[in-house]
Amino acid sequence: MYPRPIPQTARAARALYVALVAAILVVWLAPLLAIILTSLRATNDVASGNLWGWPTEFGAVDNYERVFTQSPMARFFLNSLMITIPAVIGVLVLSTLTGFVLAKYRFPGGRAVFAMFIGGNFLPAQIIMIPVRNLMLTLGIYDTHWALIIFHVAFQTGFATLFMRNFIAALPGELFEAARAEGASPFQTLRHVVIPLVRPALGALAILIFTFIWNDYFWAVVLVVNDTVKPVTAGLANLRGEFVSQWNILSAATVVVAVPPVVMFFLMQRHFISGLTAGAVKG
Amino acid sequence: MGSMPALPTLIEGADMHDHWRRHREWLSPTLFILPGAAIFGVVIIWSALQSVWISLHDWDGMGPMTWVGLGNFEELFRDDNFYTSLKNNLIWLVVFMLAPPIGLAIALLVNQQIAGMRFLKSLFFVPLVLASVAVGVVFTWLYTPGIGLLAIIFSAFGATAPALLSDERLVTFAVVVAALWPQIAFCMVLYLAGLNGLSEDLIGAGRVDGARGWRMLRHVVLPQLSQVTFIAIAVTAIGALRSFDIVSVMTQGGPFGSSSVLAYMMYEQSIFSYRFGYGAAIATVLFAIMAVFIAWYLQSIYKAERGNG
Amino acid sequence: MPKLQLSRVTKSYGAFHALKAIDLSVDPGEFIVMVGPSGCGKSTLLKAIAGLEAITSGSIVINGRDVTSAQPSDRGIAMVFQSYALYPHMTVAENMGFGLRMANRPKEEIRVAVERAAATLRLTDQLEKLPRQLSGGQRQRVAIGRAITRSPEVFLFDEPLSNLDAALRTQMRVELASLHAQLNATMIYVTHDQIEAMTMASRIVVLNAGRIEQVGSPLDLYRNPDNQFVAGFLGAPRMNFLAGTVEAIVGGVATIQLAGASAYAMPLRPGADLAPGSAVTVGLRPESLTPTDGAGIPGTVRLVELLGRETILYVDAGPLRSVGSDTGTANLTVHVASAVAAPPGAAVRLRFNPDDAYLFGGDGLRTLSAPKSI
Repeated sequence: MYPRPIPQTARAARALYVALVAAILVVWLAPLLAIILTSLRATNDVASGNLWGWPTEFGAVDNYERVFTQSPMARFFLNSLMITIPAVIGVLVLSTLTGFVLAKYRFPGGRAVFAMFIGGNFLPAQIIMIPVRNLMLTLGIYDTHWALIIFHVAFQTGFATLFMRNFIAALPGELFEAARAEGASPFQTLRHVVIPLVRPALGALAILIFTFIWNDYFWAVVLVVNDTVKPVTAGLANLRGEFVSQWNILSAATVVVAVPPVVMFFLMQRHFISGLTAGAVKG
Repeated sequence: MGSMPALPTLIEGADMHDHWRRHREWLSPTLFILPGAAIFGVVIIWSALQSVWISLHDWDGMGPMTWVGLGNFEELFRDDNFYTSLKNNLIWLVVFMLAPPIGLAIALLVNQQIAGMRFLKSLFFVPLVLASVAVGVVFTWLYTPGIGLLAIIFSAFGATAPALLSDERLVTFAVVVAALWPQIAFCMVLYLAGLNGLSEDLIGAGRVDGARGWRMLRHVVLPQLSQVTFIAIAVTAIGALRSFDIVSVMTQGGPFGSSSVLAYMMYEQSIFSYRFGYGAAIATVLFAIMAVFIAWYLQSIYKAERGNG
Repeated sequence: MPKLQLSRVTKSYGAFHALKAIDLSVDPGEFIVMVGPSGCGKSTLLKAIAGLEAITSGSIVINGRDVTSAQPSDRGIAMVFQSYALYPHMTVAENMGFGLRMANRPKEEIRVAVERAAATLRLTDQLEKLPRQLSGGQRQRVAIGRAITRSPEVFLFDEPLSNLDAALRTQMRVELASLHAQLNATMIYVTHDQIEAMTMASRIVVLNAGRIEQVGSPLDLYRNPDNQFVAGFLGAPRMNFLAGTVEAIVGGVATIQLAGASAYAMPLRPGADLAPGSAVTVGLRPESLTPTDGAGIPGTVRLVELLGRETILYVDAGPLRSVGSDTGTANLTVHVASAVAAPPGAAVRLRFNPDDAYLFGGDGLRTLSAPKSI
């Protein structure tokens, strides 16, 4: 292990080291801590300029209540869920199929298809923005949840295919030869061998894709305009105009937007990290 | 007709079944890959090609397209805003290169097995999972003149913090610093995984040979992390060129376009000015610049793949 | 009717020929072991028989039916893989019954087949466990059980013991041999371990560079190798190969001059075309060389391996020349069936009976000396 582990016998050194790291962490997370603290401030304090001194009253409940009652944040939140969850499911289904084929079958053009998935994954959003927007207009789903669902399914399938392909390719080849020798059709192999074995990968992929889609901002402003379909990211940007200097409300709204991915991350941290590093190709 | 048709039908059915069995080894995989490849091919790849085509036209997004050849590009190369954006993208690229070394430093800092360290480590990851919009709002708040955290810190030293987001010279740096925050966390994750995969034998051999501290890092650890470093640099570079969200949230390219980047300029020209052909031309140039990094990256993954296989 | 008939089986990857026109006929109940150095094509040949690799040309007939282009599951084969290839998420019983389940056989039939195979392999108590809860030897038996439940015409084994430790390997060798006797099944077994080949095979197929070098019973191959490759491949420690020259040929007996040593008379095979003056290779098994007090090849002991009941001496025999050695001197391996006290550096003299020596053409491609009496 590098750096050299601090010996277990050096108790004082270990305690000191943890304290040092904790201090650095506080600096590292200072921006986030600032926004959380602000989200707890009462409106009166914010209005009178008392932003960092001792609070005269506690405003957390009021702030978060106002985010949900005086702004469309509840609607945005629901929209985000309605977009993200179906899109994640779609990506998982498609990428399991494509990943399996690209990992275990050799066929003419296979390498080209794979290159298409990886390369497309790195395209700047701007190069596809106009045609995608047109496509959604043509399909008559511009400014609906479907526009974002379909776009995210298409785009994330690139990364997810790479991810699943690498995972499935790492499964022992003899398992697949054994299945063939025993008469399993490709579909049976998928159902009885691949899917049970990729379950952990699907878990990791699901939370990664969830985070990517939940956090998307660009497509949320390009493909939808109406508040009734907007997800939280685009919604938060809107609220900045509405609550110009009410930093306590804005902070609370920011925390609301940030919470789902952070919770997901802490619930499935190991999956998240392994997923991110396994497919370390995501920009 | 009577019972006559029954027999041929039966045989045909058997034929069909046989046919399927004989061909399922290639037919099923084709059916499996089709939906994913089709939706990705149409929505992503085809769109990218279409953009290049649109960039050769004048188009307001609704009416007919007028062919202008390279007109949009000629205009672009005379456009001062383009050079401002390009320069800002360059600043992003340079400043973003701080992310890999800082990420490595934090990774080294927390790579200790001490009770509680695991929890601290995961808190270091948090910026990575925050929506970039949220990061933008957080830093806007930090930078707010008079009441933001930065102002408080400056006043503690008896100074006045500059109004970062309205200062044309400083605004881009202020924005990049915000974007750097999650990028550092990303590099840290990569390096932690890399440190996990270090060969214990090589580290041991280095220790026996008397390598310590910096020399160990330089001669034994970093060479083993070269692949990770490469990924970190390439992905960070691509991230710098793609930057949009944080600019859009924090400054909308302002003041007076001084913090715009190519991605934001493209969006602005298309969505706000209805100049879709011009926007497509900006996107094409952006893509051409990124293609260098993408090609470099893909080529090296391809090499690594070949090496493993 | 042969159980398995390979005719001119060829497999090419572009310009590389992994299998070159392989012909082989296997009778029912035979235990065929295919050996050869890594990359010789033995695993490719096994996968071609299984149908996991398509062949470029030739034909494969199993039990009288041409299966050259049939799916693996339609060939009447079952395969045991090197890594066992057990599905980690299925229990032992599910693993063993998977093939029958894929064939849509009734549940009851699958249960019976699995239980019978499990009883044969002493796995009855393990049926509900997952592979990761089993020891290496047990996993190996599950892999074999999975093959048995399909009651195939031909069993295929791809280096099945190479993942086991030495003690377990010896035990599984015995179990496999007795299983073969019990099932009276036709088995094709690929290995690079010549001890497995010698102990289990009814016939050994020696492969090299995509070609069959020789087929025969283990002892036959050991005693009458067709060429220098087979002679060198079978037998441990390896046969010594020395450079020699033909001095004279009289009445089917050649007089061979070993470089720097005396001349030896060796009987030739009928039809061995050999002219005086041509270069030959003389092969001597380590057990054919004996230390002697009398006249013999002089040498110096370099290294002694005392194995208890037997001893292996490594001797530098200055005047002799090894074939394929670039040091100039010969390094002879000598096997003595007793404990020998010979410190490194000691001078020894070695003798051998010319009747025990093998004579190969200078190119090593054919054996020229007459078969030894058995």
